[in-house]
Amino acid sequence: MTTPYLLHQLLTETARRSPEQTAVTFGERSLSYSVLDTLTNQLAAVLRARRVAKGERVGVYVSKSLASVVSIFAIMKTGACYVPLDPSAPTQRLAYMVRDSGIKALLTSTMKTTAIQDMFPHDCPLSTVVLVDCDLPAEHTSIPSPMPAGVSVVPWNEIIAEPATPLTELAVETDTAYILYTSGSTGAPKGVMISHRNSLTFVNWAGDCVGLTSADRVSNHAPLHFDLSAFDIFASCRAGARIVPVPEETSTFPIELVKLIERERISVWYSVPTALTRLVLYGNLDAHDLSCLRTIIFAGEVFPTKYLRKLMAALPQARYLNWYGPAETNVCTFYEVPELDPDRTAPIPIGKACANSEVFAVNDAGDKVTRPGEAGNLYVRGPSLMQGYLGRPKETAKSLVRNPFNTLFDELVFITGDIVTLDDNGNYVFLGREDGMIKTRGYRVELGEIETVLYGHPAIDEVAVLSIPDEILGNRLCAAIRPHENATLSREEVVAFCSQRLPRYMVPDLIDFRQTIPKTSTGKTDRVNLAHTFSKQ
Amino acid sequence: MESLTNAYICRELIRKPEFQLKNDTLLLESKIIDSVALLKLVIFLEKQFGFVMHPEELIPENFKTIDAICTYVRSKQGK
Repeated sequence: MTTPYLLHQLLTETARRSPEQTAVTFGERSLSYSVLDTLTNQLAAVLRARRVAKGERVGVYVSKSLASVVSIFAIMKTGACYVPLDPSAPTQRLAYMVRDSGIKALLTSTMKTTAIQDMFPHDCPLSTVVLVDCDLPAEHTSIPSPMPAGVSVVPWNEIIAEPATPLTELAVETDTAYILYTSGSTGAPKGVMISHRNSLTFVNWAGDCVGLTSADRVSNHAPLHFDLSAFDIFASCRAGARIVPVPEETSTFPIELVKLIERERISVWYSVPTALTRLVLYGNLDAHDLSCLRTIIFAGEVFPTKYLRKLMAALPQARYLNWYGPAETNVCTFYEVPELDPDRTAPIPIGKACANSEVFAVNDAGDKVTRPGEAGNLYVRGPSLMQGYLGRPKETAKSLVRNPFNTLFDELVFITGDIVTLDDNGNYVFLGREDGMIKTRGYRVELGEIETVLYGHPAIDEVAVLSIPDEILGNRLCAAIRPHENATLSREEVVAFCSQRLPRYMVPDLIDFRQTIPKTSTGKTDRVNLAHTFSKQ
Repeated sequence: MESLTNAYICRELIRKPEFQLKNDTLLLESKIIDSVALLKLVIFLEKQFGFVMHPEELIPENFKTIDAICTYVRSKQGK
């Protein structure tokens, strides 16, 4: 066939070429590419029969498993797009995403059905729940929790009874493939819409960059709602490599993670630096045989050079790649880490543009940065740019703007808000943010979102949320709160209030109640002063 | 040792000081301990009870319950 232009065509192509090749392994169970192709055709047929139409948003609510890979391909085969729902987010937050994206059909598994009732509010009714129980033994007797009235539940045995004929293709490459929710500064998460073309721009480059082949075993450490998973799943599929989803619990004990890498002979690993730091500190790397790892890729935050150096010393046979790019563009620059100077402490560069992407930095005067040492805001150009934020034209217009340097025709470029500079070798180096967005353990957090949530509490009059860096625990989130006069508010209440609305990594670690929040001479919150107070705790 | 550890977990990890946590509650299965909580707990234990954990001791068996944690810590103090 012609070069794949839709993500699921990567699957049908590989299944045609190497049907017996193992596609996914999870614990004791595996699926070959031909079985994965068949299952996803069957599931897609059922979804289409249940009226999932092109362009619709279908939720995926599963933990790491075979089901996660089966679900996303099946949804795309119908022409709809998948919306991964973080299995560990509070139901209130999930309910917001369900309503915001208009999800009517949900793919989940029997093991996860307990929270579903609360995720679907009255004004956004759920019509169909499909139990993707490919991970459970055929004779399993688990029963899903009861569903709200009017919801039809499709059991797995109905899926596998379907004929395996592929559906007629309705999508084009500019249709949305998936929507990833990311922290929004105005108080609610925003959905980044990624088309097949956007994703393939990254996937094609990434597969080539790493030189992925069918001999590779690629871990899938990142959850589905993180764009890192697009490499793990789609680039692997393109090459006919084996995908190895990593169960969430395995990540808790670094030694368990190391044992999984050793056992499954993982050859390519891609994760946030925090996971690698934990492997270095607590994974007892020297006592295990990790010679299988040939390439280690990290993205999402700065990797402290001292831990990177330790990792490179422990696993000298591997290639080390630093990838950079927000969810809105996926990876747009990359840097291959050379042997590090023993006394280097500076963070490593984010590097140069990927194939089919262009980046440039714009200084305060509005000119492109060309000299080493000069700083500017990083802009990204190319087909990997998102379609926009779902339902947020104003916010989209702030970040996707007309390219000021193209005088020939109108095109969009993405303003990252990351301040960068150039080094002497033409590599970009990350300096910091221009706003209140921070990274904690690779998670993107808008401090403004936490502040807005806290302002929603009736007993809170004023709040400032900031972050204090912590090498091992990521950024520590600190909240300075001025409670309403005469109101009694405890830390416990604040934590509980946040936990109902925000994921765990966004709940403040330190909470200080104050009668006044310090201000600078211009009347803004004096965050430097607050940071000093919190650092001493 | 059990009550100090119990109090720490309720206050700093579960973040509900009044929580009724049993010393034999399964900490991992009940999701009280995730990767971040685990590291915070280790830092607390090392400081509070004066020992240094070796990487190969960071295993599920030693953190199953508060009782298991204390058994582990006592074995480190005995050395």
